[in-house]
Amino acid sequence: MEESDSEKKMEKENLGLRPFSAVVLNMLFCISVLICISLIPISKAIGSWKFCLMVYICRWALPNTALKKKVLLMGKSGSGKTSMRSIIFANYIARDTRRLGATILDRLHSLQINSSLSTYSLVDSVGNTRTFDVEHSHVRFLGNLVLNLWDCGGQDTFMENYFTSQRDNIFRNVEVLIYVFDVESRELEKDMHYYQSCLEAILQNSPDAKIFCLVHKMDLVQEDQRDLIFKEREEDLRRLSRPLECSCFRTSIWDETLYKAWSSIVYQLIPNVQQLEMNLRNFAEIIEADEVLLFERATFLVISHYQCKEQRDAHRFEKISNIIKQFKLSCSKLAASFQSMEVRNSNFAAFIDIFTSNTYVMVVMSDPSIPSAATLINIRNARKHFEKLE
Amino acid sequence: MADLDSDSRQLLAPEADREVLPGPMNIQFESSDLRPNRPFHVEPTNIVSVSGVLQRVSDHASAMNKRIHYYSRLAAPADQALVAPDHVVPAPEERYVYSPLGSAYKLQSCPEGSGKNTSLVTIFMIWNTMMGTSILSIPWGIKQAGFTTGVCVILLMGLLTLYCCYRVLRSRATIPSVDTTAWEFPDVCRHYFGAFGQWSSLLFSLVSLVGAMIVYWVLMSNFLFNTGKFVFNFIHHINDTDAALSTNDSNPVTCPSAGSGHPDNGSAIFANATGLQQFERWWDKSRTVPFYLVGLLLPLLNFKSPSFFSKFNVLGTVSIVYLTFLVTLKAARLGFHLEFHWFTPTEFFVPEMRARFPQLTGVLTLAFFIHNCVITLLKNNKNQENNVRDLAVAYLLVTLTYLYIGVLVFASFPSPPLPKDCIEQNFLDNFPSTDVLSFVARIFLLFQMVTVYPLLGYLARVQLLGHVFGDPYPSIFHVLVLNLIIVGAGVSMACLYPNIGGIIRYSGAACGLAFVFVYPSLTYILSLRQEDRLTWPSLLFHALLIVLGLANLVAQFFM
Repeated sequence: MEESDSEKKMEKENLGLRPFSAVVLNMLFCISVLICISLIPISKAIGSWKFCLMVYICRWALPNTALKKKVLLMGKSGSGKTSMRSIIFANYIARDTRRLGATILDRLHSLQINSSLSTYSLVDSVGNTRTFDVEHSHVRFLGNLVLNLWDCGGQDTFMENYFTSQRDNIFRNVEVLIYVFDVESRELEKDMHYYQSCLEAILQNSPDAKIFCLVHKMDLVQEDQRDLIFKEREEDLRRLSRPLECSCFRTSIWDETLYKAWSSIVYQLIPNVQQLEMNLRNFAEIIEADEVLLFERATFLVISHYQCKEQRDAHRFEKISNIIKQFKLSCSKLAASFQSMEVRNSNFAAFIDIFTSNTYVMVVMSDPSIPSAATLINIRNARKHFEKLE
Repeated sequence: MADLDSDSRQLLAPEADREVLPGPMNIQFESSDLRPNRPFHVEPTNIVSVSGVLQRVSDHASAMNKRIHYYSRLAAPADQALVAPDHVVPAPEERYVYSPLGSAYKLQSCPEGSGKNTSLVTIFMIWNTMMGTSILSIPWGIKQAGFTTGVCVILLMGLLTLYCCYRVLRSRATIPSVDTTAWEFPDVCRHYFGAFGQWSSLLFSLVSLVGAMIVYWVLMSNFLFNTGKFVFNFIHHINDTDAALSTNDSNPVTCPSAGSGHPDNGSAIFANATGLQQFERWWDKSRTVPFYLVGLLLPLLNFKSPSFFSKFNVLGTVSIVYLTFLVTLKAARLGFHLEFHWFTPTEFFVPEMRARFPQLTGVLTLAFFIHNCVITLLKNNKNQENNVRDLAVAYLLVTLTYLYIGVLVFASFPSPPLPKDCIEQNFLDNFPSTDVLSFVARIFLLFQMVTVYPLLGYLARVQLLGHVFGDPYPSIFHVLVLNLIIVGAGVSMACLYPNIGGIIRYSGAACGLAFVFVYPSLTYILSLRQEDRLTWPSLLFHALLIVLGLANLVAQFFM
């Protein structure tokens, strides 16, 4: 509840800041496309009305991202972006999150956009309804970053047309570009070509963006060949990306590599991470905790941690992340939102709580004699201190 | 930043629940989802105390467990998007069952859905499925093509259809972007050719099924007629010597088509003249017996699930084995009668090379046809890497069986009294109805066909009604109409055109055109083109295959 309220607040604020010209342009656009739509029953053979309709849908549904900083998640269709986003951000994958295809628009009968602008439904002439997720949905993390998903180089000619005509709008204000390559793709040349055109657009519109390349679906490659293939790809990508710098990761959703890659990405996006780490260490030492972890709020990716002795399980970060995200999913089914958790037994006590506006903290105390209230007070005081750092 | 060292040890796997899956039905056209859902359970570990207890679950496995639990919450249960693929879940050999007392043991057998059959069983299943009633027409086909030509054509067609079958088998591997584990070849066609591919493959599959059902009806009427005649003659002690041409010794072979038809006023000695005439009026091969079968088989066709009939699958093998035995015995008694005349026909022999060989290729297309279900048959092979080898061995065995029976019947046909042209389209017709051995063969085949006929009807119903109406059994009315149409076709063919060789070659060439020649080649060419690996020799070769398929069909009408 709290989260959605704060989201709505931020929406309202941003709408108020929208420049007047953009509003006028929007209105003119909508009117012109409405005229096009009214021609549907008459001129089905003309292809351009479909294009206008497509543009209308995307323009309407696309949040005015000229103001927020963007994280672009791009890649070929079928390379695993939606699964990746769903896993990292704990989004439920809707059954039919397919991109618009020409076959739907051929039989388009009516269009319904639902009120929260997160999905829209198309009803074709036979009466079948399909609901689509607006792929550029409002997944927010690290405060003011919005995640946008785009298919690059797909077979949909409509999406391609839209892409090239809206290029500047898509690539403006980009903070991070994450490009996903499918390691099993048989069209390497094409993939590289599309990647380069994305880089050109980035160079033109947001030259300061950080670029990350993920070589995905590595579990399909045999184990002894993974390093070799990844090194090859990394060299190619580094070479192609000049003068921009790109960092490459190899990932697979059935591995810890995806989590690690995204953790590294998020780590590089935090402005004053070293200072945060130092303060975290001080905090941990003061309250005599065994381990203190700092998580990013939306994804539960570990931003930084401190441990005072060697821990045995190297996979514990990803496991905690998965467990908490699973719990969050359960909570959301009851329309509740997760706030804090305390786990206690005779050997240890662990506290997971909201920390700053973008982070959660987990404190593990191995001395169970310290009462919970004491640790909670400590966390509360530390909160104020850390908020000033952000 | 977190210093996460990677843990790549693949150690002891946790206990896995067993799920006993129902094996695929004998009817291979059901595309059931053979991917099992494998729950993967890890017991909670004590992470705080660092006692010396040997850890039973590796960190890697417990991390994978949490991952799988979490992913399973992200998508709908029916969605295949985030289901763990086989290569990330511990292999069945690495799974242990833990008893509460702390000991662990491995289960010996692996009751998984896929991979239960050894190579031998798979080869036998393919052989069994391919061996159909077209074996009865092979000697006739060899006669139509000439002996040498016939043998060569059998070998060549075997190789050709084997190559096309191999293409069908490999067709799923060329589709990387979609999960094709539950796909059959018609699904592959739909992927490449859209709705046209789906409907045309359905149509051609139905052509083969309905063709087979018509052949069965004709054969069943034939066998029932002969059986009834044998029984009547046996009971009434009639020594029935037809006016038909036949050899006069202890191993009679007749030439029914050269005879004058019904011996209405034949010289046969019979006890009750009017009785025989009455019998022959009511028991006629093309006028009455086909209709008697309707009463027996039409109710069987309306059953919702023919799994009862699939229990009689063994009758097919028994019939083929008995046929082989019969042919061997007859050949041993009759001896070989072969003369080689290359181009000119003589009074008793046919030339070695005849222009009518397309009739044999038409029959063989149906004889070697298994392309619409080979993927499902080989799915249960234990060692999947041996699939191609097993398929080749099965094809070799089938070719040898056909060659054996065809050559033996052709060679042992007593040529001095009877011309080779007399070999009937169903070689059992060449033995008189008084012959005991062929009577037994006819009984076996009759029983086998009566049990296979409802299965074929079920397959046709599932395919047609399933695709048109979405439900294999929409209502008794739909099913009855469909069954009446099929049975009507069978009865009319039995009355008007009971030449099984002709029916087999037309339906074989038609459905073979699609499934054997055109679709495998086209999908291969398209997949090569998508990967930019298409070369001129490969394109020419596969285009030649398509042309051969077309020529095969066209030649059936002209030769």
